[in-house]
Amino acid sequence: MTPSLVHRCRSLLVGAMLACAGGMAVADDGTQPAADVPPPTRIRDLDYGDVLFHFFQDDYFAALVRLEVAQEAGRVPDHVAEAELLSGGLYLSLGMQAEAKRRFEALLAARQVPPSVSDRAYFYLARIAFQRGDAADAWQSLGRIRGALPGKLEPERRLLAANVLMSLGRFQEAAASLDGWQDGSVWADYARFNLGVALVRSGEAARGVQLLTAVGTMDARNEERMALRDRANLALGFALLQDRQAEPAAAALRRVRLDGPFTNRALLGLGWAETDASRPQQALVPWLELRERPVVDAAVQEAYLAVPYAYTRLAANGQAAEQYRNAVSAYVAESRRIDESIAAIRSGGFLDSVLDAMPEGVGGPEVASWFWQLSRAPDAAHTRYLYPLLATHSFQEGLKDYRDLRIMQANLETWSGSLEAFAAMVEAREAAGQALGPRKAALLDAADLGGYEQRRAELDARVAQIVATRDVAALATPEEAVRWSALHALEARIEALPAGDQRTALAERAQLLRGTLLWQLDAEYKLRLSRVRTGLGQVDEELAEARSRLTMVEQAGGDAPRETESFAARVEELDRRIARLEPRIEAAAAAQERLLADIAVRELEAQKARLASYATQAQFALAALYDGAATGAAR
Amino acid sequence: MNQRQIRRLPNRGRQLLLAGALLVAGAVAFGTRAVATESTDARTADQDVQALKKELVDLNRDLFRLEEEILYPASTQVAVFLSLNVGTFFALDSVQLKLDGKEVANYLYTQREVEALHRGGIQKLYLGNLKAGEHELVAVFTGKGPHERDYRRGTTLQFDKAVGAKYVELRITDRDAALQPEFAVRQWE
Repeated sequence: MTPSLVHRCRSLLVGAMLACAGGMAVADDGTQPAADVPPPTRIRDLDYGDVLFHFFQDDYFAALVRLEVAQEAGRVPDHVAEAELLSGGLYLSLGMQAEAKRRFEALLAARQVPPSVSDRAYFYLARIAFQRGDAADAWQSLGRIRGALPGKLEPERRLLAANVLMSLGRFQEAAASLDGWQDGSVWADYARFNLGVALVRSGEAARGVQLLTAVGTMDARNEERMALRDRANLALGFALLQDRQAEPAAAALRRVRLDGPFTNRALLGLGWAETDASRPQQALVPWLELRERPVVDAAVQEAYLAVPYAYTRLAANGQAAEQYRNAVSAYVAESRRIDESIAAIRSGGFLDSVLDAMPEGVGGPEVASWFWQLSRAPDAAHTRYLYPLLATHSFQEGLKDYRDLRIMQANLETWSGSLEAFAAMVEAREAAGQALGPRKAALLDAADLGGYEQRRAELDARVAQIVATRDVAALATPEEAVRWSALHALEARIEALPAGDQRTALAERAQLLRGTLLWQLDAEYKLRLSRVRTGLGQVDEELAEARSRLTMVEQAGGDAPRETESFAARVEELDRRIARLEPRIEAAAAAQERLLADIAVRELEAQKARLASYATQAQFALAALYDGAATGAAR
Repeated sequence: MNQRQIRRLPNRGRQLLLAGALLVAGAVAFGTRAVATESTDARTADQDVQALKKELVDLNRDLFRLEEEILYPASTQVAVFLSLNVGTFFALDSVQLKLDGKEVANYLYTQREVEALHRGGIQKLYLGNLKAGEHELVAVFTGKGPHERDYRRGTTLQFDKAVGAKYVELRITDRDAALQPEFAVRQWE
């Protein structure tokens, strides 16, 4: 191989490596766009608080359904703009970009949107546009943001802006946007990493290496930063290898942790750096370590070729030949296992097996991060060779769509059962309403509220007359009334007696009695009148209560048949909608499965082709060794 | 093997190795290319799935509303919510809710739910039906109070239910002066 060809191969190699490392370094892939929506300082609508309760638990579907219900019923009047913003964010989280975009645009088209809300809406629109690959549109939306975004959204906005500028090829501006960004957030480091990779790719290696070195040597105290540091060192190592700077490349690759997702590729690169530095014996250290690892990994597969290559550099041809033979056997065995994987995928249940392989509790929007943290795919026939594919954004999006469809399918089954119960309830209500009808009519007929009100009016008139005439006797107790009547009767009898002293004496006594009785009645008059008036007040209250209850009975009955009819119609209509959607969900899930299975099989076939190519190379190398040995022996 | 051959063999090996290395490094690129060739199909499928999901959200919304209207009509509906404001002095474990002496809810909180309450979420703890008139609500909160001590406190509300939905909010707040939690009940119209 001529030096220029070696160099070209290296360029391609590093480019591919950078594509691999850089492609995955976009932490901000829009899978959790709504998660950082800060809550309003004070909840003024309880229903909005209920939506947030589900939202803050990452239960986006439940939150969205509740939000839609609350919005439709006008139960979030004090959070109209925030609710619409949240709604857009939830649609985005659930992978419905088109609807999310429509919501954000509608929100921005409305009048009187506070800047705090419109800024966030433009941010999410920028994100959607960038995800769609429309960097120019994303840049336009970012330009409409007027102030700093709240909380973690601001560093995310800066990262997005830097990424958008890089996509537009405006590296100088991207670099300028990073200057002075020292808020200690991991977002700034992601931006530096991405820019470093982009600069190396675009040929500005020196500036790119500088940025990658800064990220690769940063202080990292959590898994996310450590993983980013590893990625930076891997990309840096390969960039330096491309530039034939073996020593600094080796130093960068040695900084990659020995137990992370990038270890294998770093070990492979380290071996190359050592061979470039004419230390093939040193190259054997990482390559032999790598060869002990599961052969499913592409870097390990390559180590099977690299190890004998190092032996040939050391002129240990016997060992090299043995290692090449081992390599061929390993490739053939691996190729057979790939055939098993293809057969397993073809036999169905591919996506279910991928979802089953997830750790418990994973399945929400964090699916992406789960794959990201995996150092290799679960060792199942369906998935063992697919880690690089499973980790791609488009595959994960497809997988999430499939998972969402299955969840919604289960959700519809539950609703289907509930609808049956609703239908039974509506029927029972209708029957009860019919049975209650005659009883209600009888009750309403018997309730002679008018009669009571008439009597109440008469009593009022009587009291008024008592007051007008100060008829104290009218308020007598029953005993007093008896005595009063007896006195009246007595007086009549006295009147009927013949005139004389006896009648006069009796009349005087009767008068005395009358006076005494009247005095007693008069003394109690005010108290008794007050009692009567209190009593009348109570009668008024009871009459009002009776009137209200009768009205309720009348109303309750009045709307019931219409309501029941409307419920029955709605139950039927919703049942029809479920029945229409069920086969569509099944078909969409199956289509999704086919699509992703086809992609997976192509990936596996490519891996098989690669293994076949490795095997051929090993056989050629072996043949060359035998050839050399034979030629040497002949001499 | 002479010197020339020794030099030739490693070169050949190196060529093979680098070709292999390209394949390794390109593993993801292959995957990406494979995805790219399917991108039109994938986009159409994605659009179909998005449209289907939207219909499912709409359907769920309509089902949710129907359920609420059938099971908890506005004339008799009563909803009890729970909110947490700061909550420094109280770590909520559970709430027991009684309406007119009858237990209607007994809720044990997960860490995730408590965090959601701390961030400003309000839990719809109970949704049920009550006839118009006087009623009594008793809520008993258990958890850890100041200094990690077991804490159990109750709060009572006598309320008048008119014809129409009734919203009640149980609020756990901090009483800074006393360094104690405070449990309040608020009626919403």
